[in-house]
Amino acid sequence: MAKEKLLLLKNIREANYKGDLDSYRKTGGFTALEKVLSAMKPEEVVEAVKDSGLRGRGGAGFPTGVKWGFMPKGTGKPAYLVCNADEAEPGTFKDHLLINEDPFLFLEGMIMGCYAIACHHGYIYIRGESIKSAEHLQRAIDSLYKEGLLGKNIFNSGYDLEMTLHRGAGAYICGEETALLESLEGKRGQPRVKPPFPAVSGYNACPTTVNNVETLANLPFIINEGAEAFKALGTPNNSGTHLVSISGHINQPGVYEVEMGVTIRELIDDYAEGVRDGKKLKALIPGGASSNVLTADEIDIPYDFDSLMKAGTMMGSAALMVFDEDTDIVELAYRTIRFFNHESCGQCTPCREGTNWLKHMIRDFMDDNGNGPMLERVDRVAEGMIGTTLCPFGDAAGAPIRIFVAKYAADFRNHFAQ
Amino acid sequence: MTKFDKKTMTEVRALFKRYAVKVHALLPVLHLVQRENGGYIPEGWAHYVAELCQTTVNHVRGVITFYNMFRTEPPGKYHIMVCTSVPCGLCGGDKVLEHLEHRLNLAPGQTSKDGLFSLEEVQCLAACDKAPLIQINAEVHERVTYDQIDALIEEAYRKPA
Ligand SMILES: Cc1cc2nc3c(=O)[nH]c(=O)nc-3n(C[C@H](O)[C@H](O)[C@H](O)COP(=O)(O)O)c2cc1C
Ligand code: SF4
Ligand code: FES
Repeated sequence: MAKEKLLLLKNIREANYKGDLDSYRKTGGFTALEKVLSAMKPEEVVEAVKDSGLRGRGGAGFPTGVKWGFMPKGTGKPAYLVCNADEAEPGTFKDHLLINEDPFLFLEGMIMGCYAIACHHGYIYIRGESIKSAEHLQRAIDSLYKEGLLGKNIFNSGYDLEMTLHRGAGAYICGEETALLESLEGKRGQPRVKPPFPAVSGYNACPTTVNNVETLANLPFIINEGAEAFKALGTPNNSGTHLVSISGHINQPGVYEVEMGVTIRELIDDYAEGVRDGKKLKALIPGGASSNVLTADEIDIPYDFDSLMKAGTMMGSAALMVFDEDTDIVELAYRTIRFFNHESCGQCTPCREGTNWLKHMIRDFMDDNGNGPMLERVDRVAEGMIGTTLCPFGDAAGAPIRIFVAKYAADFRNHFAQ
Repeated sequence: MTKFDKKTMTEVRALFKRYAVKVHALLPVLHLVQRENGGYIPEGWAHYVAELCQTTVNHVRGVITFYNMFRTEPPGKYHIMVCTSVPCGLCGGDKVLEHLEHRLNLAPGQTSKDGLFSLEEVQCLAACDKAPLIQINAEVHERVTYDQIDALIEEAYRKPA
């Protein structure tokens, strides 16, 4: 296997690392937090993160420091930081690795993030099905309270912080930040109309920032080693390393930490050791089910936000799914649309109905009942979902279907009625 | 009885302290209802929870129906979830589901007559590198084979409690 660039998985890759608070301390844990609380003003933390160029790892890639900068001051209302640990985008499993095996890394980051935006009560929203991970994380939070790293007067700095773990109950859409906030308020997880953005009106109508687990896990490095050291990694405008979840028909599925900009070919061949059973690559989905498929000829692209965007797809949550030559793209499309249909929150007609129609139409292809006009209809219905819905889910469900049809029409033709 | 016991009420009160208003604690409170009632929300509890969280019964019902994990029918003692999402479904998840359907004589969404097993087809569980996988209650079983599945079922039959 090619060598990983270890920032976030440095501890996890140590053979005997246990991931408890003592082990984390021994590796230099909480030195960044101590530095922040004793020697830095909140604005300085925001500046450092801005300078580092860190972009959110939850899917959209928005610059984290800039987002924090949107938090209004002097509103008289409390500010909130909510950590997004919903991780439900098909193909993504890197946040769970951090939560299960080195939880204090992102928790340290989260405490610093809370300090930076003057938040005194942070929430972590974890998906409901991950019962074991939630128990594990709750124990980690409890031990932080016990050690005085949460609660009143952390490191004698006068800074107080409460932290609450909130379990979801099985709904992909709660990963979308405004749906997440609804769910945190005890409501159905249906995305809100934006604006107002969460920075203005988030949890309990107060200024709120939502950050992904991996995003926050980068903070200890940025504070300890400096923004420049972080920026020196990766490609311009795509700083740092990132955790890539590789799955599908691959020899070594798993999470790999690489600098931004390593190519897709390298990820597949040099890190994950190639397509399974010596088969040829047929297709890959680079950034979770919401991203557009790439063909086997499109793998020399640097794996970073901007390069993938230029290639007409996106890095999303860095979930790289590999499919071999025997894969039927119609089946892949069917599974994708079935997922979106199941998870649509139902507020917008194009999304609710569109995912349902598409599911049935693609099912017909699976039953070898397709034809030319039907294929055009699939494309038209998918097109009708793009840009017509309240949240990005509509685009995320529609666009990949259009690209499946455009790039793999032959697969659909194989399912025309005889 | 449609009421939390004293010990659970202590947990509920601690929960309320962690949110700006009581109704925000609705999801964790409903998780507690399920924990105390064998994994589902029996008739009558929506009213009780509404009162407790100072909201309407309709709000509570709306929330219960929105989320997959909240149930109004009892699940089996062993609730088996099979991931057939992308990518698991293309890496054996589908065949695992078929095997379980056949083995337990259940369709997804059904509970066996003896109340021992229920089967559910689920979307990505954030463990796709371990495909095919199933989750039985809180426990995830990675890269399962038919033999392993059969052994788990046999074990469940032997100790139904
Ligand atoms: C349908 C949908 C699902 C999402 N799911 C997740 C998720 O599971 N985890 C996550 O961190 N972000 C998810 N996001 C992105 C969040 O809305 C938000 O942008 C992100 O949590 C912000 O954190 P970041 O800036 O650190 O990336 C999702 C977005 C959409 C539209
Ligand atoms: S686009 Fe779909 S998921 Fe998003 S708000 Fe509309 S119906 Fe809900
Ligand atoms: S697709 Fe099954 S765990 Fe992700």
